[in-house]
Amino acid sequence: MKVRRFYDIFRLRLRSLLGKTAVESELDRELRFHFDQLVQENIARGMPPTEARHAAMRMIGGLAQIQEECRDMRRTNQLETIWNDLKYAVRILSRTPGFTAVIVLTLALSIGANSAIFSVIEGVLLRPLPFAHPERIVRIFLTSDTYPKFPLNPNDFRDFRSRNRTFDSLAAITRQDVQLSGAGEPVMLRAFEVTAGYFRVLGFTPARGREFTTTDELPEHGRLAILSDRFWHARFAADRNIVGRSITLNAVPFTVVGVMPPGVQHPGNDYHAVPDGDTVDVWYPFTFEGSPNNRGSHFMDGIGRLKPGVTPEQGNADLSGVLNQLGNEHPGDKGWHIYLVPLFREMVGRTQRMLFVLLGAVGLLLLIACVNAANLLLARSSVRQREIAVRSALGASRTRIVRQLLTESLLIALAGAALGTLLALGGVRALVFLLPPGFPRAAEIHLNLVVFGFTLLIALLTGLLFGLVPALAAARTDIQQSLREGGRASTGSQRQVRVRDVLVVGETGLACVLLIAAGLMLHSFVNLLRADPGFRPQQVLTASISLPRQQYHDGPQRSRFYAQLIDSVASLPGVRSAGMGTDLPWTGYDENTGFDVEGRSAAANDNNSARYHAASPDYFHALGVTLLHGRFFTASDDAKATKVLIVNEAMARRYWPGADAVGKRITFEDHPKEKDWVRVVGVLGDVKDQADSLAGHPAFWWPLAQAPFPDVSVAIRAQGDPVLLTDQLRTAVKRLDPGLAVADVRLMKQIADASVATQRFSLFLVGLFAALALVLATIGMYGVISYSVSQRMHEFGMRMALGAKPGDLMRLILGQGVKRALAGAAIGLLCAAALARLLGNLLYGVSGADPVTFFAVAVLAIATAAIACYLPARRAAGADPMHSLRTE
Amino acid sequence: MSKRSDLIQGTLDLLILNTISLEPQHGWAIAKRIQQVSNEVLQVSQGALYPALHRLEQQGWIRAEWRVTEAGRDAKFYSMTKAGRTQLQKELAQWERLSNAVGQVIRMLPEAAS
Repeated sequence: MKVRRFYDIFRLRLRSLLGKTAVESELDRELRFHFDQLVQENIARGMPPTEARHAAMRMIGGLAQIQEECRDMRRTNQLETIWNDLKYAVRILSRTPGFTAVIVLTLALSIGANSAIFSVIEGVLLRPLPFAHPERIVRIFLTSDTYPKFPLNPNDFRDFRSRNRTFDSLAAITRQDVQLSGAGEPVMLRAFEVTAGYFRVLGFTPARGREFTTTDELPEHGRLAILSDRFWHARFAADRNIVGRSITLNAVPFTVVGVMPPGVQHPGNDYHAVPDGDTVDVWYPFTFEGSPNNRGSHFMDGIGRLKPGVTPEQGNADLSGVLNQLGNEHPGDKGWHIYLVPLFREMVGRTQRMLFVLLGAVGLLLLIACVNAANLLLARSSVRQREIAVRSALGASRTRIVRQLLTESLLIALAGAALGTLLALGGVRALVFLLPPGFPRAAEIHLNLVVFGFTLLIALLTGLLFGLVPALAAARTDIQQSLREGGRASTGSQRQVRVRDVLVVGETGLACVLLIAAGLMLHSFVNLLRADPGFRPQQVLTASISLPRQQYHDGPQRSRFYAQLIDSVASLPGVRSAGMGTDLPWTGYDENTGFDVEGRSAAANDNNSARYHAASPDYFHALGVTLLHGRFFTASDDAKATKVLIVNEAMARRYWPGADAVGKRITFEDHPKEKDWVRVVGVLGDVKDQADSLAGHPAFWWPLAQAPFPDVSVAIRAQGDPVLLTDQLRTAVKRLDPGLAVADVRLMKQIADASVATQRFSLFLVGLFAALALVLATIGMYGVISYSVSQRMHEFGMRMALGAKPGDLMRLILGQGVKRALAGAAIGLLCAAALARLLGNLLYGVSGADPVTFFAVAVLAIATAAIACYLPARRAAGADPMHSLRTE
Repeated sequence: MSKRSDLIQGTLDLLILNTISLEPQHGWAIAKRIQQVSNEVLQVSQGALYPALHRLEQQGWIRAEWRVTEAGRDAKFYSMTKAGRTQLQKELAQWERLSNAVGQVIRMLPEAAS
């Protein structure tokens, strides 16, 4: 019924507006019918026809007035007014196309920027995660004094799974890429070992086949695979009979038991991280092997779905209880605490600050554009004073005039929003392209209805905001004065001039805030690039190789392969040095182990921990890591030689403070014999943990020949362009083993660049917005100064006639601009100083009150103000005084 | 013009709605009917009637359509919508409350004064 009523009302309003003639003639006919009835009644009472008509006419009274009232009731008039206002606004605005274009363009740029940034925020932060009831999913980590966020141990996980009371389901995953061979080139697949029920945690069910069960977790049962929809299409042409078929992974047959539906997303993981999204090719069951009492090795990412109504805190408390029990049963589990993170925070939490900084930046930009538009409209409204005075003299009420002027500003804002949306269409695509690698949910960012709604909303708000001040100011115009001043360019009331001054000072201030944010980020970025990372990423080619355990089951086999490969690559022309290691800097590698330092008490050794790596002799040369003391590994540090290791400076300083670490010994055994002691032979300069971390993490290296891990990274330092060595590396590997895939071929420089991508991305955008803000502020300043100069030409003429030099006038006018810029800059610097803290980790090696940046921005603000004033000042100085005096 | 008793603000809507709740009527008939039923006490002027009709139509309480009268002329007939019927119930209840209240006050006052 309600709906019906609103439909009726809508239909009638529309008819009143569009079918105006029909409605009018109906009204006519209706009233005429009434009139005729009156006449007839009068005749029936015995009046002669003519008199009857006259009496009826008297009775019905002002016919026109009734009609007008009916029209009012139909809201026709209101709609018509709006329509007329719009038509008038279009006419007025198209009379000054340059002026209109400047406002519309500046608004379009800032509204477009807002839409684009908002679409990122909408896609990443506002939209629910692509899992069923995502608010119940949590990630599970361990935490300790030394390790804030640590992966789980598989046996601990199994106990969590069986003893918890707050989870619907609990799973653990660990990345273990596999090599697919068979038809065609061998390829490395993104693969995860997962425990039973992993997909149930996320809320997915296989499109074909089944999920893994706990039986699949038993040794020798786990040679099963579930394929992603994308991989099933790409590699198996969406073969409907794939379930039950066998594929070869790591040279071993695996049976496909399921295919996931499209839209299944990896939730992201921490250990050997793979970005979230459709990023995984294959899942296979995790196998629980070895002693269930092994609680030392941690390599699994835990994830769980809480029971409905259970809070993450309750889940945390529940698992902490289990962990306490485990601590009593297994000494290795002591010292750890549960660290539960809601999936949403884990996936997108780290982007929040950057996105809000960007939103703040575009918000400021929009505010500046508003102030700018208000300023320009004010300038124009003083030109239009006469028109407005005439209209109010003819009876237009103040509200009527305010409404007319607001219609104009809303029209401008909507035009800006329309154009801005077009800009945002391109802008969003560019944004997604520029996003730092691994940015969560990047695939979900696009313009949609929510973003369009947001754009419309800010357009309306903007229109009201920048239209209100000029409209109110204009409506306050003193009619008499404006009309009396007649054709003379009216001076604009003193109040208006002051309002415009305030606006331009505010605009400069806001622009300074943005400029300072950009400046601080630029300074940080320069610091980042200048900071010594501890290695030299230039001219290094990297790749990763994984030796299948089935073919290379023992250490000597792997060592032999590595030695052969290094030999053949190192002898290639153009190669300076070639090395291999477990990992490369800044790739997220984080494997740690405990150990005992010789000569320290058992208690002191309890919490020892350092990151472990293995490296071939030339690995450090190839990456350009410096040696501080002792020696690098040599070819003679092989399996038969005494065990040695190299530590970094952070480890040397922590465990042998004030002493030379070279020659000291550590052990990994609880009851070491003489041969179990490993001697430190060298100390390396620290490699920073991440591009933006201030120090290195304690770490040591085994010789790769003494610790031949099956997964290695290759680093080759070239004499010339390292890219040219790619094919030769592939050929070298193929010659040794045609079944091996060479994966992740990248330049070390790319890895290094990627690690500062977040900073670069936000610097680029904030810098862009700040530049726009500066342009807007300059336009505003130019508008104000140029207007004031045109108003004072008479005065200047007088001054010149009285002996002022052109230079004096220049100085006077420039002084005006600089004074305003100084005031603006002062306000801006104060605000920026208060706000700089919000930039947080986007800054590096720079304090929020960085004097260099603040000084540079102040100078920039004053310099651009001077530039903005220059043209008007020259006009004033160059004018012929006689001419100026005569025109007034 | 004949003497007219002023209608309390809003009661015209009530009278119109009530009049057409029985059967669709045109404006002339509505005015006549109110006049007759009230024994010529309530006179609805055209200047008030037609704007009110158009307002009620705009609010979706009544609906208009052109029909032929018994005398064979085209006239705009107004009829009740479902929403209008609910509205009438509301206004009737409100009127009852108001007139009761006024009546009570009028009856009480002389006693209180004496």
